[in-house]
Amino acid sequence: MNRTLLIARREYAAYAMTVGFWLSLLAFPMFAVLGGAIPILMRTSEPVRAVVLVEEGPGAEGLAGSVRESLAADAARRAARAAEAQEAAVKATGLPKEAVEQAEKQGGGGLSEALSRQRVRLVETPAELSAAGSVEGQEAVVRALLTADVERDAQIDSVVFLTRDEAGQPAARVWSRRATDDTVEDFIRDALQSANRRQVFESAGIDGSVVVETERFRPDVKLFSPQSASGGEVSFKDRLPGIIGLASAFLLWSLIITGASILLNSVMEEKSNKILEVLLSSASATEILTGKVLGVAMLTVTVLLVWAGIGSAGLLFSFPETARDIGSILLEGGMIWYFVAYAVGGYLMYAVLFAAIGAFCETPRDAQTLMGPIMMVLVIPIIVVQLALRTPDAPLVKIMSWVPFFTPFLMPARAPSDPPMFEIAGTMAGMFATALLMVWIAGRAFRAGALSDVKLSWKSFAGAIRGGGR
Amino acid sequence: MDAALSLTDISKRYGAFQAVKDLSFSVPKGSICGFLGPNGAGKTSTLRMILGLQPQTSGSLSILGAGDGRSVRDRIGFLPEERGLYKKMTPVDAIAFFGALKGLPTGEGRKRARVMLKQQGLEHAQTKKMKELSKGMAQKVQLIASVVHKPEFVILDEPFSGLDPVNQQGLEEMIRGLAADGATVLFSTHVMQHAERLCDKVVLLARGQKAFEGTVDEAKATTRRFLELEGEIAVAAAKALPGVVSVETVRSDGPVHVLKAELAPGGRGQEALKAAFLNGLDVRRFELREPTLHDAFIGLTGDDPDQDQTVRRENLEAAR
Repeated sequence: MNRTLLIARREYAAYAMTVGFWLSLLAFPMFAVLGGAIPILMRTSEPVRAVVLVEEGPGAEGLAGSVRESLAADAARRAARAAEAQEAAVKATGLPKEAVEQAEKQGGGGLSEALSRQRVRLVETPAELSAAGSVEGQEAVVRALLTADVERDAQIDSVVFLTRDEAGQPAARVWSRRATDDTVEDFIRDALQSANRRQVFESAGIDGSVVVETERFRPDVKLFSPQSASGGEVSFKDRLPGIIGLASAFLLWSLIITGASILLNSVMEEKSNKILEVLLSSASATEILTGKVLGVAMLTVTVLLVWAGIGSAGLLFSFPETARDIGSILLEGGMIWYFVAYAVGGYLMYAVLFAAIGAFCETPRDAQTLMGPIMMVLVIPIIVVQLALRTPDAPLVKIMSWVPFFTPFLMPARAPSDPPMFEIAGTMAGMFATALLMVWIAGRAFRAGALSDVKLSWKSFAGAIRGGGR
Repeated sequence: MDAALSLTDISKRYGAFQAVKDLSFSVPKGSICGFLGPNGAGKTSTLRMILGLQPQTSGSLSILGAGDGRSVRDRIGFLPEERGLYKKMTPVDAIAFFGALKGLPTGEGRKRARVMLKQQGLEHAQTKKMKELSKGMAQKVQLIASVVHKPEFVILDEPFSGLDPVNQQGLEEMIRGLAADGATVLFSTHVMQHAERLCDKVVLLARGQKAFEGTVDEAKATTRRFLELEGEIAVAAAKALPGVVSVETVRSDGPVHVLKAELAPGGRGQEALKAAFLNGLDVRRFELREPTLHDAFIGLTGDDPDQDQTVRRENLEAAR
């Protein structure tokens, strides 16, 4: 086996044979799943607050009714949203509605339940509260009710005194079991806002039922585009390339930076352990640099394959239709080749640069002089990539796509909007030309840095490139 | 004897700093050559030029018949001054890896590693990780890693530094073993005792320039030898002894003097002593002081090899 492959194999094994690597590798999809599941879990595990409504005085009459109507409207809205989500799931999975419902039931009804679940329920006013005459008496009863240690089902979480202020507008005093819980306060505010709106409209001669109906109205807005597959209405499938482009840009950014950082640390470790000098007596600087870049590239590919495998399996199991669409966009649409080309070019540019910096450093602190500004520059494409997705032909996006250091992140995001061929070829040529230039520069700097005791600075780095090591 | 290595007017300059100047010497095949000098004298720079890790500013060299160490790197073994191996590797894996870089098949490398570790009493350490080994053990492993491919030329940069006396002795035996197997060994050190015991040839370096090249005995012969005499002896009587060049009084206690008689180059101390007894001089104590390589180094260069040339070394590191 030649030296380059030997070094690459050792580099790969040094990370891939550790438990920590596989744990951190699996952590990403695990957290991605958790990231999606946690809001649902939070929603479904959140207790429904039991609320008592008390109208204070004759002026407040009818306010409780308005709150009840608001609650009913909220329930209807949530049910509609859950139905929409279910419909989307049917479309994405390609399964019949019954099968989706069945799967949801088996899974504990997660998403639908989370979306349709209300946060507030109204309960009967306890007799002792109704019997209390004065405001002070009522408040004493409320304090007792809200501090009582009873079963969860019998527990009262909030007592709301509905009233009207001096201007005759709806107002409320919300008593809550927990001072930090503002759920009921928010709900009552919305409900009274709605009641006030209705009152204003009614006083202007508009019937209350008309107001309710108006509030319930949800416009059916559909997006059409000649670029959609049907030539008309834009479907989720039409939006998929954009989502894939954005995901590719973020994934590339994260993989390239992670790979390059692994390389930086690896070279720094070898420099501080004085292994680089031994390696240099056995292999050329080019062989060492190539071997290390290749080894970490294999590591990055492993990460990508494992993530892709887990993601594909998850999609095929949960949303087979969407999985098929993604596969078709990546393979038949050719997006995978964009991804591969930009991954190779981007990784090469950054990996060799980071390795060359590592050759001058023994600790991460040594590397900060150069790494700080580089990382700041690297944040720019992440900001611009979102603009690239919505308006891929914006002048800023077009110009920045031509900057070779940003090309690997911006062009995959622009790919779904079919940028002109000269831009694709030109930016790619620029990126690979820069990658080759970086390999040449980094090779010289690496050779010089590996045997140097000089502290890293822009000046010493530039001097090493000029001197060329040998 | 053919030279495995020869340097002709090699110089190395880092910017304005002259690290090595017009250095010429040769190392015969199969010999052990000591490359001696204080820290900062330019030894590591020279070794790096020999290995092809750094280019010389001027001059030429030939190693194993090649003009550049890089083209024969598989036939060379190298132990750098500052040692390091992959901490998470086992000794066997580390040795096999570095052997493989020199063209030794991995399987053969692992086999040889086990044998060589056993020879060095490190059989129990085969499956441990490098980070679990003591410094002496790790140094032995690194030396094995640098010679596992059976190189024709072995370059060791300060191989004894940081080792306790027992491990130093073990290392000396390893170096003798390498030479016995036919390898040429060039090692740098600033500790003269090792060179004195091991070397067929020494090259003394001071401030980047060669101060001496030859055998240990030849080096010693360049410096003065003394015969110390104690008793009621007159300076003139001592001066009249054969082979004695000059005499100085070290100290006196009444009529009893301690005299230091310098012997002429090639003068034999035994003859001077024999003449002293035959002449009836009152010799109560005598000591023939043979020079050491350390003395020879000081005599030849004016530097003490045990003292760092700190300023020069710092300048050298900054210039690199």
